[in-house]
Parts: sequence; C-alpha cells; structure tokens
Amino acid sequence: MTRGLGGVGPAVALFGFAAIVPLFVRDAFFLDGLILILLWGAAASAWNVAGGYAGQISLGHSMFFGLGAYSAALLGTKWNVSPWIALVVGAALATTVGFVIGFLSNRLRGPYFGLATIAFSQVFLIAGSRWRGFTSGSEGIAVPFRPGFWTLGFVDKRAWAYLMLVLAIGLYLIQLYLERSRRGYQLAAVREDEDAALSLGVPARRLKVAAIAVSAALASICGTLWAQYVGFVDPFYVFSVDLSVRFALAAVTGGIGTALGPFLGAALITVLETSLRARFGGIAAGLVGIYLIIYGVALILVMRFAPQGLVPWLASLRRRRPAPRATGTAGAAP
Amino acid sequence: MSLLTVSGISKHFGGITANRDISFEVAPGELVGIIGPNGSGKSTLFEVISGFYRPDGGEVRLDGQRLTGLSPDRVCRLGIARTFQKLRPFAGMSVVDNVMVGALTRTRDVRHARARALGLLDRVGLGDKAYAHARTLSTGQRKRLELARALATEPRVLLLDEVTGGVDQRSIPGLVQLVRELHRDGLTLLVIEHNMRVITAVAQRIVALYLGEKIADGAPDAVTRDRRVVEAYLGQAYAQ
Repeated sequence: MTRGLGGVGPAVALFGFAAIVPLFVRDAFFLDGLILILLWGAAASAWNVAGGYAGQISLGHSMFFGLGAYSAALLGTKWNVSPWIALVVGAALATTVGFVIGFLSNRLRGPYFGLATIAFSQVFLIAGSRWRGFTSGSEGIAVPFRPGFWTLGFVDKRAWAYLMLVLAIGLYLIQLYLERSRRGYQLAAVREDEDAALSLGVPARRLKVAAIAVSAALASICGTLWAQYVGFVDPFYVFSVDLSVRFALAAVTGGIGTALGPFLGAALITVLETSLRARFGGIAAGLVGIYLIIYGVALILVMRFAPQGLVPWLASLRRRRPAPRATGTAGAAP
Repeated sequence: MSLLTVSGISKHFGGITANRDISFEVAPGELVGIIGPNGSGKSTLFEVISGFYRPDGGEVRLDGQRLTGLSPDRVCRLGIARTFQKLRPFAGMSVVDNVMVGALTRTRDVRHARARALGLLDRVGLGDKAYAHARTLSTGQRKRLELARALATEPRVLLLDEVTGGVDQRSIPGLVQLVRELHRDGLTLLVIEHNMRVITAVAQRIVALYLGEKIADGAPDAVTRDRRVVEAYLGQAYAQ
C-alpha cells in the first residue's frame, strides 16, 4: 500500500548490517545494544500488527509480553520445562487473552479501546505481584540459566544476536504480508473507516479480533525470549504501562503501520536511551533525571518534524529528490 | 417477481418514528427512486436495508433470502452494496486501494483485485486518479470513487444515497449519466435523491416517504403530481 519506503531494499540493508556486525564486533555493550534493538523492534512490530495495521491502538501490550516472560520463568523454575515449550504455551495463553479482550472491546473505538487495554494489563500486574504463592509476587523470578539451544541459554552474545535477528526478520515478514495481502488491505480499510469497510463486505469485527490475537501471540514470543536473555522477570516491569508505551512509541516514531518502522523506532529509542543514560546517568544527584529530559525533547523533535514517523518521512525525502521516480512498485502512491 | 422486497419495516429511535410499516418491491433491472423531505426516513431505510440498523419490525429479503438481522458485511456479500450520504473514502489510502477493498470481497487474488479496480476506475472516469491519495479528490470525484468501490463488490442491488448531493452544478450531469449507464447495463438500483429533476429523469418508479411513512409509489409523473407528495413538499396551500 502507500505508507512504506517501497520495496524491501532498506530492510535487506538493515538486517544485513545486523547480521554482519556480530562477525566483527565482540564488544559486549555494543552487542547488547544490537540484541535489544532487534528485540524491542520485534515487540513493537507485534504491537504494530494490531495498532498499526488494524488501527487497534493498545496501551496494554505489556500483558502479552509479560505472559510470555512469566511462561518462561514459571515453567522453567517449577517444572523444568524447555523455554521453547514455554514459548508455545505463552503464545497460546496470550492468543486466548487476546481473543477475550478482542471480543469484549470489539465495539470500543479509538481511545476507549486503549483505556480498556490498560485496565486489562493492570489485572495482570496485580495477579503477577500479589499471587505470591505462584509468581513469587513483587520479588520477581530468576529464570534458570542452562546452557544449550534446547534450554535457550547462550553465554555468547553473538548467539543471542542471531536468534533475535531471526525473530526480527520473522516479524518483519509478517508485517510485509499485512501490507500486501488481501487481509492486509481489509485491515487497512477497517483502520481507516470501519463502517465503510463493513459496507464493502469486510468482516471488520472478526478481523479486529484476529489481529489482536495474533499481535498478542507475537508479543508473548518476544517476552519469552526477553526473559531468557535477561534472566529475571519482575511483574512491575513486564506488566507495566511504561513497557506498553515503549512498544507503541517505537512503532509510532518509526512509522505506524509500516513494516520497517518499528525497527527504526526501536533503534532510535534504544540508542538514545542507552547513550544518554551512559553519558548523563551518573552525574550529581540533582541531575539524575537529565537524560530523561533530553530523551523527551528528542522524541518531541521527531514528532514535530516527522509526525508520521521516520519511515514515511524518509519516503517523502526520497520523493522530493529531482531524480525520476520508479513507479513500478505495486500500489506506491505519489 | 421482485429482487428486493421490503415488507413492513418500522424503526424507532426513542419516541421518534423514523420508519413506519414501509413496504415496497424492486424488480430485477429496475431503477427505483426514493424521495421525501428532510427527516422523512429515507436514510434510515437505507441503513436498515444495508444491515447497519436492525428494524423494530418487518424484514428485508433479497431474492427470497432474509437479510434482516445479518451484519452489514454479510449483507454486502449477499449482494447489496451502498454508498454513504456523508462520503466515507479511506482517506489515507490511494484511490485504487480503496476500490481494491471492495474487489477483494469477491476475489482472494490481490493482483486480480487490482486489475478489476483499475477497470472500474476507468469506467467511472477516475482512471487517471488511480494512484492519487483519496483525500486529494474533489466531492464529485469522491462520489465516483464510492460508486466504483461499491460496484467492485459485484452487487445485485446498489443503494445510492444522494448521488448529486453536495456536488457542484457542473458535475451533476456526468454523475447522472453514469447512473443511467449502470442501469442500462442491467444493474438494479435504489436511489435516494433530493434533486427532483434528476430523480424524475432517471427513475422508472418512485417511492415517496413523509414523516416515516410511504405516501406514494408509482411512475415518476404520477408520484410528483400526487396530492400528498405535493403537500409534503410544499405545504397544503399548493395541493389542489
């Protein structure tokens, strides 16, 4: 459709770059940054499936991420289950919860849907922090580290980088499908105008629920891998509104409803956050929060100059160039 | 034999009666106009037929199949397409993508849908605008877009809500001509229209509504001369 950069060239370049970097760079700090960019990009992409493509702006997606994280932690510690199975279990749980939320909030549009998702995610926060017997409550759970592929434990960060790269590319391809397939067009119609979509035979209600359920499952998978990578699950982090906002923010700054946007947004946010924290984080007590202020200002600037997000902004820069424009791409509007 | 059968439709909003026991039929290939002053229940009737409102009484059938109670998307897939009085293009999408959404209701193949959409855009005279953003179109062009989008769903009956409403005078003849051509090609149409000159020129039959009730149903000449219709539009003093 019309929002992307047209073609997969930029994505191939970016993911190719991410694939080559670990071959030459051994610096743990740098690799950690790469891993987190890919992971947050994937999580923001999962959010984008519902928020960007179907227009169901959720502010509660941390609950799905948290379900995946807790599946890994609880199944691993209590029953010694492989994280790969936990990944499937978490995704199944998240899909179920996604279906329930999708059905219950089917008629809610715009901000009301967002508010409903915040409420649902708070239920999980309360369950995660108060159900001490099962979840260890607010102390959180350490995820057991057992080296090996089946147990999803890698000492070498490069292994993590490649695993996250596979995840990221998978999420990118799912979004690409949503841009080019029949279902993608129908979802875009629902996002633009639900009644008009209904009048054209689009099963809007069913598609919305399906988009939320798929988005939930994908966010849960990201949560499982994150828990295995970080090694610790804390309810106040994984079920927080902050985390939900982070997914939405990365997708919005990168370009909502674009396949590459969530990754660019995640890269921008992660780089800004970590570099600013490294530079300004440790100064005198009075300036502890200064990095947050700079971070906020930077985001305001992005929204001021690229309100549609980075991908549409870059696309418009490219169009402004005098060189003749290739019009071969399917559906690329001037 | 009728294609679309509306029988005994009633719809209330609180204490207000928008439709009261409205019945009429549309034969295959017919072009039926619906007229009536503001607030007479024309648009409500459209919402009921297209499945957006559930009537309090009565039912709508298409070729014998009951539509009442079905969701709007089901109604569309069974063969009823509509345009909106207040136009609702997918503003953020290109013109051809708008029409493709309609076409994809009938085909799973995106490329096929695109080809069909481009063909329909040519037909309604928007071929050169195919890759423009829908939000850049004029009102007249948006009417044509809505028409193409609805046609893409391959309707058996097309409901048009105010084809010429809000369109500048110069664009009206072209739109009227387009509706005529669609009818000539065999499409069954039910058309709401305020512009009396337009509706009497294109319709084979006219149904007149007033305060939610059907007050006349027949040939355009007869209906426009009907005493109750004249009264409804102009007041009692003019009805002789």
